[in-house]
Formats: sequence, structure tokens, C-alpha cells
Amino acid sequence: MSTTTADTLGLDEPEREVAQRPSVGSRALHSPTFMAGATLTATIVALVLLAPVIGRYSPVSQDLLHTLAGPSGAHWLGTDELGRDIWSRLLYAGRTDLQVGVLAVLFPFSFGVFIGTVCGYFGGAIDTVVMRVVDIVLAFPFYVLIIALVFVVGVGTHGIYIAFALTDWVIYARTTRSATMVARSLDWVAAAEGGGLSRTRVLWRHILPNTITQAIVYAMSDIVLVILAVVTLGYLGLGIQPPAPDWGSMISDGQNFIQTNQWLAAVPGMAVVLTGIGLSLLGDGLADILRPE
Amino acid sequence: MTPLLEVEDLVVEMRRHGVAFRAVDGVSFALERGGALAIVGESGCGKSLTLRAVMGLLPSGGRLSSGRVVVDGVALPVEARGRGRGHRQHRRMSIVFQDALSALSPVATVGNQIAEAPRHVLGLGRAESRERAIELLRLVGIPDPERRYHAYPHELSGGTRQRVMIAIALSSEPAILLCDEPTTALDVTIQTQILALLAELRRERGLSLVFVTHDLGVVSQVAENVAVMYTGRFVETGPTAEVLAAPRHPYTSGLLAAAPDVDRPEHEPVAIPGSLPDPLALPAGCRFHPRCRFATAECLTTDVRLQPVGPGRQSACLHSDVLAAAQAAVGHD
Amino acid sequence: MTEALIEVEGLSVTFRSEHGHALRAVDDVTLEIAEGEVVGLVGESGCGKTTLASCIAGRLAPSTGVVRFDGRELEVSRTVEDRRAIQMVFQDPYSSLNPRMTVRHVLSELLKVHRLVPRSGIEARCRELMALVGLPTSALDGLPSQFSGGQRQRIAIARALTVEPRVIIADEPVSALDVSVQATILKLFEDLRSRLGLTVVFISHNLAVVRHLSDRVAVMYLGRIVEQGDREAVFGDPRHPYTRALLAAAPRLHQVELVRAVVKGEPPSPIDIPTGCPFHPRCPRSEEICTRQRPALAQAGACPRHLAACHFRDETASRAEP
Repeated sequence: MSTTTADTLGLDEPEREVAQRPSVGSRALHSPTFMAGATLTATIVALVLLAPVIGRYSPVSQDLLHTLAGPSGAHWLGTDELGRDIWSRLLYAGRTDLQVGVLAVLFPFSFGVFIGTVCGYFGGAIDTVVMRVVDIVLAFPFYVLIIALVFVVGVGTHGIYIAFALTDWVIYARTTRSATMVARSLDWVAAAEGGGLSRTRVLWRHILPNTITQAIVYAMSDIVLVILAVVTLGYLGLGIQPPAPDWGSMISDGQNFIQTNQWLAAVPGMAVVLTGIGLSLLGDGLADILRPE
Repeated sequence: MTPLLEVEDLVVEMRRHGVAFRAVDGVSFALERGGALAIVGESGCGKSLTLRAVMGLLPSGGRLSSGRVVVDGVALPVEARGRGRGHRQHRRMSIVFQDALSALSPVATVGNQIAEAPRHVLGLGRAESRERAIELLRLVGIPDPERRYHAYPHELSGGTRQRVMIAIALSSEPAILLCDEPTTALDVTIQTQILALLAELRRERGLSLVFVTHDLGVVSQVAENVAVMYTGRFVETGPTAEVLAAPRHPYTSGLLAAAPDVDRPEHEPVAIPGSLPDPLALPAGCRFHPRCRFATAECLTTDVRLQPVGPGRQSACLHSDVLAAAQAAVGHD
Repeated sequence: MTEALIEVEGLSVTFRSEHGHALRAVDDVTLEIAEGEVVGLVGESGCGKTTLASCIAGRLAPSTGVVRFDGRELEVSRTVEDRRAIQMVFQDPYSSLNPRMTVRHVLSELLKVHRLVPRSGIEARCRELMALVGLPTSALDGLPSQFSGGQRQRIAIARALTVEPRVIIADEPVSALDVSVQATILKLFEDLRSRLGLTVVFISHNLAVVRHLSDRVAVMYLGRIVEQGDREAVFGDPRHPYTRALLAAAPRLHQVELVRAVVKGEPPSPIDIPTGCPFHPRCPRSEEICTRQRPALAQAGACPRHLAACHFRDETASRAEP
């Protein structure tokens, strides 16, 4: 009886309104963490990409008449002990370090997410074996492993790539595995499987988009870690070989002058810190945005 | 005689997407010594928040922007962020939550958790507090209390955990028990046991009760008085039996019509048209009007508040008499 | 006599706990479901109703016993057609939809994979499905986070209907919803049943809902069916003390006085099921025989379809309660 009256009055059927969701772009703009991280990182990336344009000198050209000069109109950040322009070296070093940072993370990310998903979904023997390998890798202190591998494989960028490829994938594997195991028990996965979709499809098209966000966010801080490792290796003389500049060797070289010309070490140090902050904020911001709610 | 608990004009603000809104919008009620009030409403109506505001336990993001809570004639110093737990009068109230598993600490035995208040609030010694805890376990109907003292919450069944929560709530010797959907997560046969326990506690200890639930069927077993809540306000109050038999607000009668009746399968549940409004975009005038078949032009413009509609009964509806007449015409539904 | 669409025979599911204890989640259940029927499966937590439903839906392999569909015995690993034929709708609207897939994506993927309509017809079919469950077409573009609990359940029902099932198993589909929203979903089930001739297994602990919707009812306790029969037989003339206890405990609007707690104590752990009748420690009617001998599920009352597993199944309840 009430239903007919409701119809005549033209009242809504229950629950026809669908809430609007803000687009990803709008959420991005409203997340202060993301905006701060994105701005900082984008600025740094832009600067290093424009190195040939805004770096006014070649990073390797020496000017032995003007060594250890302070900041001036000719040299914005001064010169180092061999008269090389610090600003240019900073930018070119940034190119190298950022490039290595991103590329060194690519394989561990891809492989780690893949193997973690497989382990989390199928379990069984492959899960046990892979997780034991993960345990073994994690048992070693990270830097000990990296340094040992670089020693064995050879110094320079390719050594770094191989060292990270062999060790860095484990975290991605673990987080993705846990996220997959959680997802596997949820009703919507049961519904997808019950609907007759193949397990492969459910795994890669349904589960993965949900589990990969953690890995993406982690990848941001992983890039920072890689850059730090490259810097450390560079500091130890095991990283990017001279005369190609990298922040690590710049800090290492500047160490000798720490009491008289602090900026030689401080400036590249600041660059590392700022890049680290930028990427971390970006990672946090992404975590905020990528959450489905 | 002064009521034991008086709540005046409680307003709680919450934030969503950075915008503030009133989740509890001017709620008032009084509880007599030994009396019981049930607050009924659907999800999001603000009933749980009301209880928490009275108790001083607002969640982060919630703010008590105005209102008074008076216990036994003494106004409680409710700070805006609701952290006034230290006040002696607050100890006269205890709260029981819905999900015992998340409300209890997983790393302490239930006995220790029950003994905590006697030890730290009442100042009893360790042995005495233990004795008190065992007594309370027995009181709430848990068999073998000396052994159960040492159990951890996850080792117990849902019903037993809920009894433990009640024991903890009683351990500080409150005069008022606030219950936030304590039986919603329990099986129906266990629910009857818990409700019987609460009734016994009221009888034997003179406890007063405020019971929040979404289940109208439970209300009549629990409390002599009921308040129906919608979008942060009470829309109808009165003695339970009368309100359920002859509601004077269309929302109340809507809720009653929507529930299937276990004794009458031929009763077709009828949904209330429309849906709950977005708290950030409440309708003007009477908040229920877009869903109400008695709505007139006046309802769109008047901000309706609770009016007396009978002895001890109030309704926030301009047309409660029309509703009453319609019910009388239909006879017993 | 129409053959049953689904036959469950002697089904048991035993889990092994980590300490090696056997946990009988479902114990020797035999049940028939005819086409177009709504069968209500009632019981409290731990009674095995969800496990039983999972076996029927093919999500779980039984330890013993068979499930037959259309007279054929269903293999443990089912064909795609068989999986499509029996669909489930779950209780929690907040975990039953993939948070990252739009409604359109969910429905159209199923349509494509099963080739239910030609490519050109997918969009139209999606709209039909939305209309069938009472949602606007604009809902197709939405992600689950934009929808309320009731709307999500409608989407879940639409998803189940997409693959054109013969049976829908709804596991507590309205328990998480407010009463008014619940009424709309119940109405939806009724509509779908009359329009599409769907067979529904409706699982709920809410007796009022089950009584409203079902044709036949089965009451479960600790993995066993303790009473089953036509709805009015079971509700009107319950022959098992547990059924009576559930009825007495069901919340009623016009309860004059406090319900007596008819049943004492709590269900025992399923690892440690009592001997004889598993209900005897809590049963107000239990006698010595109940501790020794497990009662069979046998005819109680006049109708041969009304069965109860109680030694005193021939006694009717004295209904003194208002």
C-alpha cells in the first residue's frame, strides 16, 4: 500500500544515487605529500636532464689555476680540488645516479612482484623453495652482500645492476606474496573463480592490480636506497669509476677537504638528501592516492 | 528526584574529506536511577557516537562542540576532545562495546583485564582485585571462573568474551552501563543469554542502562524507554511498548514496516523509499521529508524538533496526528 | 515427480587442525533442492551452513559424500559450465567486490569469457543486468567504493546473474545491511525468483527473513541437519528443541517480557562433539537416552517431508510464549 503511494508521489526508489568519486588526478592534486614529493622529484629530474644546457662546463674539464674556488659568478658552486665546476659535476653525477637508481630497481621490482604473486597464490613447493631463498638472502647484511657481489662481478654500473638484481627482489617478493595471500581469501576472488574465470586470469588481471600498489610505493624508497648504495659504493671506490662523476665519489673526494672547504662534500651530500626526501614523499603520496577508497 | 544521567543538547562534529558536519546534532535525554533507555537507528545515525561522547571517548577527528553531561547533578567537565576520563563522576559510567575481540587486549589474560579497574581505579590490593575479578566472572555467568581467569580473549567464544566485557565494565562499580550494540555480533541464542544477564544485573544491582542497537526486536526486551535516531537527532522518544505499538513518527513506522516478522510470514517487508541522506548535504526543513509520504510543503521549510505528542512521548514530526489517524484507520497492521 | 535439481548425499567435511584433531564441519548431510525452490538454511555460527554451501558451489571438496546436479554427480574439479550453473552471493558487501574494477569491467569480462553475447551486445546486456537489480545505468562506470552496502549487494547479485546460473546460493546476503535496505534486497530476491525461475539456497541466522522467503527450511547444528521440512511445518510445528529455541530467541517487536534463555551454555567446540545427540548438553528436553544414542533424522509429524533428529520428535511444542 505504501509503495503505490510512494510511486504516485514520485519518491525515489531506494538507493538509486551513486556517489561520485574524485578522479585520480584530483586526488593527486589534493594530497600535500604527493604534491611536495612530485614537485621536488620533478625539479631534481628536470635539472639533471637539462645538465648539458644548464651545466656550464664539462664535468671533467679541469682548471688547475682555479682550484677550490668558492661560489662565484663564473662557478655557481665553486670548483673542486682539480678545478672542475661543482655545479656541472653535480648535475651530471645526478644523471648517472638517478639513472642507475631507477634501472637497478626495475628488474628486482618486476621479478619480485612476479614470483611473489605466484608464491602467494599457488603456495606449495614453489612457495617453500622461494621463501627459503628469500630467507637466505635476507640473512646477509645488505651492504656486505652488495659489496661482495660487486667485487666478484666487477666494479662499475653493470656490477651494480647485477648485484641489485640478485638481492633486491626479495622484499618485493615478500610483500607481494603477503598481499596476494590476503587477497586470495577475499570473497571477490572466490566470486571471480566461481564465475568460471581461469586462475591465470584471476591472478594477473584481478589480484595483481590490488597487490602491486604496495610494491610500487616501496619501489620509490627503494630507488633512494639504491642511490645511497651507489653513493656508498662510489665512496668506497667500488661504484661508478672516475672520471665520470657521481655523488658518492664527490663526497669521498671532498672528505679530504672537510675542514677547509666543506661544500665539496656537503653539496653532493645535500643533493642525495633532497633526492631521498623527494622520492620518499612521492612514495607516501602515491600510497595515499592509490588506495581505492 | 534528579535523574541519574542527564544529557543536554549534545553536539558532536566529525570531519569527512576535510569538511565538518554534525554527526550528533542536539541530543538530549535523561535516565532515571535504575532506568533503561534504548537508542535505535540505522548505521550512520550517530547513536554510537552519542554514547562515546557521553563517555568521553570520541574517536580522533570527532569533536564535542557543545552540550552537557550531568551525572547525579554534577556536570562532567567534557573537554572538546572528550578526554575527561579522570573525573570521579565519569567512573560512575562504564561502556560495553560490540566486538569484544577488538575491545579486549589480546596480550593480557581476561582476569588481569577485569582486575585492572579494582586495582588502579578503586585502589584495591593485588589479591583483593583478583578475588573481585573472579567474583565478577562468576557473576556474569562464566563457569569455572578460577580457571578462566587465566584465559586469553582469543581462547574464548564470542558469548563468553562479551560476558568478560560486561565483567570489566562492572569492575569499576558503575551506576550506569552504556552498551554499544553488545549483542549484534552474537548468535541469537547467546543474545538471549546476554540480555537476560543485563536484566538480572539491573534487578540485583540497580544498574541503569543506555543500550544502543539497530535491532528494533531487541529493544522491547531491554529497555522501558526508547529513542529513535535519524541523521544525528532523536525523531521519536517514549515508552518502548507504546512507541512500537503506535509510532508517531513516519521513520519509526517505516522501520517497523521494513522488518520481517518471524511470527507472520505474510507480512511483506516494505522498504522506506529513498536512502539515507549524505550528512554533508542534508535536506532542508525536516530531514526525513524526501522519504516521507506524509510530507507537505511545510515540511520542506520547517526545521522540526521534538514536540510532546502524548504523556512521556515526543515526536519530531509536524503531522504525527495524521500518522496516528492513518494507523487507526488501517487497524492493526 | 520432478527430479531434484541438486542432491546432496551423505556429505561430510572434516578439517584437520594443526594438532591433528579432526574437526567435522559438516556431518553426513543429505538434502534435496528442487528447481525453482527457495531453501532456507538456518543455523548459528559454526553450524556448518557456509561449509555446506561451499561444497555445493564447488569451492570446497567434501571429505565424503556427493553433490549431484541435474542427476549428474559433480566432480571435485568442475567444468566451467557446472561452475557457472551454481553461483554464490556473499555476506560482506565490503569484501565481495574487487576494489579496482568498475562494474562494467566485472560484468563484461564474464560475458566475454563465456561468450554469452556477441561483442556488440555486451553493453546492452550490462544495462539489462543493472536494470534487473534495480541500479541505474550510470552505476556501470562506478568503482565499489562509490556504492553503499545495499548497492554493492545488488552488484554482487548482478554479477552472479551474468553467467546465467540455475542456482544462486546466498550466504547471509542481508545480514550486514540496515533493515530498510534489507527489505529492498529481499524484494529483489523475490522478484528474481518469480521472473527468472531461479533456485535459491538462502543461508541466514535470521529466522524472520528465512521464514519470509523460503519454501523449505533446513536447520543445522554442529554440522548436522537437525530439522528440515516445508516452511510452515518447521516454523509452525517445530519438532526439535533447537528449532524451538531459535524461534523463541528470535527478536520480536512486541515482546511482552524478556525471553527466557531456553538454551543454556554455548555450542561446544566442533573438535569435541558430545556423544549421543550433540545438542544434549544444552537441551532443555534431554534425557538419558540422548547422551547415549544419536537420533536419526526421521519423519516427525504428519508430512513425510518433515524430518527431525530428536528422540522426542513426535512431541509437539507447548507454545506457551505469546
